[in-house]
Amino acid sequence: MLALLRERLPEVLKAMAPLVGAVCVLQVALVQAPLPQFLQFLAGAALAALGMLLLFAGIDLGILPMGRFIGAELPRKGSLWLIAGVAFALGFAVTVAEPDVLILAAQVEATAQGAIAARPLVYVIAAGVGLLGAVALLRIVFGFPFTALVAIAFGLMLLLSFLAPARFVPLAYDAGSVTTGVLTAPVLLALALGLSTVLARRSAATDGFGLLGLASVGPVIAVLLLGWLQR
Amino acid sequence: MSGAALLEQLAGTAWSVVLAVLPLAVLFLVFQVLFLQLPVREVTRILAGTLVAALGLFLFLLGVGVAFLPFGRIIGESLGALPQAWMAVPFGVALGFATAWGEPSVRILAGQVEEATSGSIRRGMVLVAVCGGVAAATGAGLLRIAFDLPLLWLLAPGYAFVLALLWLSDREFVAVAVDAGGVATGPLANSFLLALALGASAGTGGDPLVQGLGLVALIALAPVISVLALGMLVRRKERPKEATP
Repeated sequence: MLALLRERLPEVLKAMAPLVGAVCVLQVALVQAPLPQFLQFLAGAALAALGMLLLFAGIDLGILPMGRFIGAELPRKGSLWLIAGVAFALGFAVTVAEPDVLILAAQVEATAQGAIAARPLVYVIAAGVGLLGAVALLRIVFGFPFTALVAIAFGLMLLLSFLAPARFVPLAYDAGSVTTGVLTAPVLLALALGLSTVLARRSAATDGFGLLGLASVGPVIAVLLLGWLQR
Repeated sequence: MSGAALLEQLAGTAWSVVLAVLPLAVLFLVFQVLFLQLPVREVTRILAGTLVAALGLFLFLLGVGVAFLPFGRIIGESLGALPQAWMAVPFGVALGFATAWGEPSVRILAGQVEEATSGSIRRGMVLVAVCGGVAAATGAGLLRIAFDLPLLWLLAPGYAFVLALLWLSDREFVAVAVDAGGVATGPLANSFLLALALGASAGTGGDPLVQGLGLVALIALAPVISVLALGMLVRRKERPKEATP
């Protein structure tokens, strides 16, 4: 556990440093916020760094093995519907816990002044990830060409962007890009890798590629559909 | 921040973490009972890891809530209040480049691209292309907010361009490039830039849901285009060599 933390520390600091540095420069050059507020920023940044460190360690220790075990065990049960169902459930569950998604939903709720509630929005986004995650895994099983699937998904997404009310479009695309974060990415990849290994396909390593890109189209489509239906 | 407000934030964050992590834990236990049947040692390890992750998520959300969200908003408001709209662009470009440069997963992606092209696209090239793409997208995103342009004017041509490049690129390379969208900004940069965009849109008087959102989406699209375009450029350079063995 301690070794894990030490291993992850440079990564967290490296990800953090440019942003904190940029904020410090902007504080001096542009905003000049009062000192207590700036100190609060520094304290919060330290807290966030510690949190990220623990989050990464916890993912390595518990959540990644969880995805790997489930991914390896699933195909042995045979049923395609089971694979699809589990992929959906797992994609849903990890997205609900994704920090970026929680923050986006909370910010949207605050901005929309009650017109959009955070919790249901998180569930819609998570359902989108689960759905496209399941589709992407079934693609691996059936060997359907990746390019064609991406083209269909992107096409559907663009079509819906013109049908849905304009108010939902920026929200939908933002929702799509925050989903493949620190939790969803490793778990979905572990699931795909487990599945590919058991299927013993020619390109187990590359089967996992593209999964995240596809999964992140899911929430865009889900939120746009929500907007279209609410018209 | 006052004591009561802090306490409220603590309680709210704790509750949202419980709601966030519970489905995952329950799902795992259901699998464990139904068909995994892992040894007790593994189960404790997984549950302990989930607990550590939950604690980390709690501290992260708390830290972001007191630091990056309010400060991102303040910086965004100052950017929106600049006398000329274009003056926000250099700030956006610098911020975009810096955050992508620090992101560990961008480096992992760069390694994957080098591997998928068996070395003909070097890591460093991918790194610069992705960071440049993110920088350009952040600048463009801030301009869009200032000039009140619809997001689709930028996104629709962007995705159409990606679709066109898809047919011209290698199958394996396409999959790596499509993944690139998710890696450019980590959870920290995402939340910070989200707050920044919402702050920048506050002064424009438009609907903050329409004007303030969308920056993160543009940032996610940029690296996909950079990686695909890089692939095309390198292939075009290599083709004459292949023709004359």
